[in-house]
Amino acid sequence: MKRRDLLKAGGLAGILAAGQFPLIKGVLAQDRYAKYRGQTVVMSVPSHPHYDAMTKILPDFTQETGIKIELDKVSLARIKDKQLLEMAKPQGDYDLACYVVMWKTEYVKKNLIEPLEPFFQNAALADPGYDMGDIVKGYLEVQGLVGGPKGYLPGPGAKLYGLPYGSETSVLAYRKDIFEKHGFKAPQTYDDLQKLLAPLKDKSGIGALSSRGQAGHQCVHAWLLHLNPLGGEVFDANWNPVFNSQAGIDALKLLKEISDTGPAGIPGYGQGELINAFLQGQAAMYLDSILIMGQVKDPAKSKIVGQVEYALHPKGVRYASQSGGLGLAMPKNAKNKDAAFLLLQWLTSKAADIKVTKAGGNAIRMSTLNDPDIMKQYPEFGILKEQLKYVEPDWRPIIAEWDEINIQALGIGISEALTGKKSPEEALNGIVPKVTDIMKRGGYLKG
Amino acid sequence: MTIDSRSNTRTAWFFVLPAVIIMFVACLYPVLSAVRLGFYDWSMGTPWAQAKWSGWDSFEIVFTDPAMWRSLWTTLEFAAISVSAEMFLGIALALALEGHIRGMAFFRTLFILPMMVAPIAVGLTWRYLFDAQFGLVNAVLAVFDIAAKGWLADETLAFAAIIVSDIWQWTPFVFIMVIAGLAGVDSTVLEAARIDGARWWTITRRVKLPMIAHVLAITLVMRLIDAFRVLEVIYVLTFGGPGDSTEVLSMHIYKTAFIGQKLGAASAISVLLLVVVMFLTWLALLMSNPLADGENGQ
Repeated sequence: MKRRDLLKAGGLAGILAAGQFPLIKGVLAQDRYAKYRGQTVVMSVPSHPHYDAMTKILPDFTQETGIKIELDKVSLARIKDKQLLEMAKPQGDYDLACYVVMWKTEYVKKNLIEPLEPFFQNAALADPGYDMGDIVKGYLEVQGLVGGPKGYLPGPGAKLYGLPYGSETSVLAYRKDIFEKHGFKAPQTYDDLQKLLAPLKDKSGIGALSSRGQAGHQCVHAWLLHLNPLGGEVFDANWNPVFNSQAGIDALKLLKEISDTGPAGIPGYGQGELINAFLQGQAAMYLDSILIMGQVKDPAKSKIVGQVEYALHPKGVRYASQSGGLGLAMPKNAKNKDAAFLLLQWLTSKAADIKVTKAGGNAIRMSTLNDPDIMKQYPEFGILKEQLKYVEPDWRPIIAEWDEINIQALGIGISEALTGKKSPEEALNGIVPKVTDIMKRGGYLKG
Repeated sequence: MTIDSRSNTRTAWFFVLPAVIIMFVACLYPVLSAVRLGFYDWSMGTPWAQAKWSGWDSFEIVFTDPAMWRSLWTTLEFAAISVSAEMFLGIALALALEGHIRGMAFFRTLFILPMMVAPIAVGLTWRYLFDAQFGLVNAVLAVFDIAAKGWLADETLAFAAIIVSDIWQWTPFVFIMVIAGLAGVDSTVLEAARIDGARWWTITRRVKLPMIAHVLAITLVMRLIDAFRVLEVIYVLTFGGPGDSTEVLSMHIYKTAFIGQKLGAASAISVLLLVVVMFLTWLALLMSNPLADGENGQ
């Protein structure tokens, strides 16, 4: 090794060690960004409270790095169609794409998104201070990993294809004023929950529990919320449909009871109606995404400011809360991949996570959830931190065929049970042949 | 053929050819592409080179799928009820407002407003109007002591809801077509009928409506075609539910293509939809075909 090389190596090690000092760290970061100053990163993002919060902090990134950002905002319902068309081109318009967790395996199977490890191993791009271990484990595994056991779980073969950004789990929110007035306690188990529904409706004069129920994804989501804690699964280890097991039927019976004792019209409720019913004082409980936490406090949207307490998602045979939400990935046909990675890394850094949470977004880092200022702003994060221990990575089978099973099979049968057209047993048993066909076509079962 | 007539033919082709090419590219090519796609198994987001030839498989799968037939039946019911109601109401409104009444220009503008609203906005508006908790429809029913209904949570009521929204949006189209037709009716014929002692109802039934039969036929055809293609309003209002009670064929095609990722099967259903619409159009034009009359020199 020549003297010059030795000095270079020693110098680099020294600088990396000195990276812990803010001033030198800042200089390093500026070097990382210098090459990409003036480039524009185009992001495909949905209309969603978390991404609205992100929009507020993006000017900080441009100011810090000189990299510009362009947003293509589309409704969540239509964003996948547009992304698929865009990512199938030889060169697409998107450098970063926001995806719903359910799409991750499909995108990888179609070779549409980049694995992120090579970028994190690139010393010219990766921030040595980036703490991957600080990201909520359940969020990172569910949102980012593909190729492991079952194709979507953490374990051997799993690679990182995306980072959580807008991830969520489920919690129970309830009206403390109503509960105190009538002497009710927040349900801790599914038995408690079931016993509470009818008396709560009778005494409070409003719906007991708000829920999604619209045909398709919405009613399946509502059913999965109860299926997992009650010990049910959609498929067994060999991909045979088992959602019509006793646990599946019990979950659907409970959902029907929730619909019957809830605010009027649940079989037509999407996520918007579910949230509105609770915020407008038409339901005494809410059991769904943590998305509600910010909205409850907004007097422009909520009539129940200051009247809400939170509790863990009740326990059935086990605790198992929702794992889902949104993440960010880099399309294979992106034009400015390095700059896109820098933005992705910045957005999911500790500092930016605190900023986006303060602006009303969903935190993805434990350091954010433990931050004293954040805890002061959101005391309910105490429950959230506890709930995160029970995020169920196998909450739903995230296989490429899930959208079809979710919307065109389960989403019709469960909806028919909610309207009373079919009994829960009839509805679930009736879907088995269709789901079996889909699994045969996908090569999971022999046909 | 003389030199002059050959020259005339060439000149005619020279002027007609651009239109023929545009018609082919804009109309026929997409249809032929859809038919071709029906013979392939192709998923969105993958290169076309990976599409697999599947022969008649997609057509076989589609035609043996009970969900597709349920969807076709739902579409026929939807089209029959909504288009009949729109034709009746549109004609009635046009007859009521054709005369010289004070403020008529205002009312005519008011009546055609719904037609100008984007379908997604129509869907959202009606979704809020039919909301079981906060909707205006239930609020109005409450005035008459009628219990609130979960409009979008019940199969029959949800079907009624999509029909009501379609009637609201498209009756103005029938109205505007008919009122334009009525404006073109020769006043001397109407005068002659009056002199012969015909009353309003007789003049309307025996003179006005027969004289605008071509307009009515074209309006009916256009509404039928539109009713078979309706998607956005239902997408927003019910997403085809509860169950699959409001899943019209275009919604079924959308779900097959973009959710099931079976573009071949979706194309096969599109071909079926095209055949059904062409058949109904032919039936409607049998009643009164302005093009055929034109050829006869009438």
